Amino acid sequence: MSVEARKKALRFLFGPTADRLGYKFTPNDEDADFLLEQLAGIEAQTGVPYCPCQARSGDRAADMRMVCPCIPFHRKHYDAMRRCWCGLFVHKDVTDPDALRQIPENRIR
Amino acid sequence: MKKVTIYALSTCLWCRKTKKYFEEKGIAFDAVDYDKQDEAAQKRMAEEMKAAGFNCSFPFVRIDGACTQGYDPDEFERMLGEK
Repeated sequence: MSVEARKKALRFLFGPTADRLGYKFTPNDEDADFLLEQLAGIEAQTGVPYCPCQARSGDRAADMRMVCPCIPFHRKHYDAMRRCWCGLFVHKDVTDPDALRQIPENRIR
Repeated sequence: MKKVTIYALSTCLWCRKTKKYFEEKGIAFDAVDYDKQDEAAQKRMAEEMKAAGFNCSFPFVRIDGACTQGYDPDEFERMLGEK
């Protein structure tokens, strides 16, 4: 499968899950396209679409928390940012994703 | 001149934006792609991030002795002493 075809497939697969979690794809199409391309590449290398912005440790249980869409494993953190760490998903009510900031998990109260 | 170090992943959008931020400001920085390092170097980087109180999410930015995680221009400016 080509990278472009896999990007479309990932969008198709992730969309309903994100929707049920209260999130949607970022409306910044350029960012979404870049992130989906990275996910497709990581999946081609490892067999799993791990988050492109988090490092894997080699510990399976820990690494499973980084499989996209990883929202359920970081709910409090991501809800506070109104986006996931890599920014592929934002809260459904977000219209300007560029106004959102990444906040380190240790600064979430 | 403050010393700026960026730990990044080659696949990370926000790492690219962070590097671009410092480039556009004309601030020299050292950047290391975690995923391009060998296992020993990765372990050292992860331990450094953990010691600073952070997990292994990227980008990780050190400006002199202060550290932060994530792309946040306001925080970068504060750390650079511009705010």
